[in-house]
Amino acid sequence: MEMFLMVATVSLLGMVVSVGLFAAATRENSSGPEVQVEQPLPAAPPRFFLAERVPTAQPRVPVEVLLLQIERHVRLEQAAAESFLDAPTIKSLHSRTTSPLVH
Amino acid sequence: MTDSRPDLLAGLNHDEATELLALGSRVSLSSGEVLFRMGSEAGSLYLVERGRIALTLPMQVAGREEDVLVEERSPGQTVGWSALIPPYRFTLNATAPLETEVLAFTRSSLLDHFGRWPVIGYIVTRNVASVIGQRLQVFQAMWLREVQRLVQLRCA
Repeated sequence: MEMFLMVATVSLLGMVVSVGLFAAATRENSSGPEVQVEQPLPAAPPRFFLAERVPTAQPRVPVEVLLLQIERHVRLEQAAAESFLDAPTIKSLHSRTTSPLVH
Repeated sequence: MTDSRPDLLAGLNHDEATELLALGSRVSLSSGEVLFRMGSEAGSLYLVERGRIALTLPMQVAGREEDVLVEERSPGQTVGWSALIPPYRFTLNATAPLETEVLAFTRSSLLDHFGRWPVIGYIVTRNVASVIGQRLQVFQAMWLREVQRLVQLRCA
């Protein structure tokens, strides 16, 4: 009987120690400093052709050139209108022009 | 003056034309000189004798006000019919792009002459009406062509 009680006491003690050690070990894991795992950053969505699309200023026609184009346009239109008056037909009224302002 | 008869004198015989021309006074313009400006009082009618007269209108081009050519008048052609039509204000700018000579007829001298010679007044007034009508028809056609292009752009 004494033998049985001694074995039971030792077993109980061992179990208590084991539980204590296990609890201490698990507490360290949960409350310890979190390990910063460097997650790879999500790759940016590919922007196809973006590098090729360099913003460029619209080529602006110099005012002097534009004025010459307007003058040419007026002359051509006047000539077309006079042709229409010489021979008034729908075709001559809407004849095509070579004016750079229109094309 | 060119070989062709000036549009203002169409229908007049030689003597009538000579008498009318005698009413005019010659005005010489150097290259770039202004004959009249839009909005100014139209006191005289002009007949181009030599050179050219550019008729322009102000227009906004690239944020700047520029005079844009509307029409050009050559020797034998009449400029400034606003001198005979109320409210007697020029509706265009007139400039000489090169050395030019015009005959200037004041409104009062023309109206006096027409009062004394009504038949001449009738013929010359008809000639002026023809100049006005021709411009109206040309610009009407030009305007319609532009509207047609706008419509095509809208429907494209």
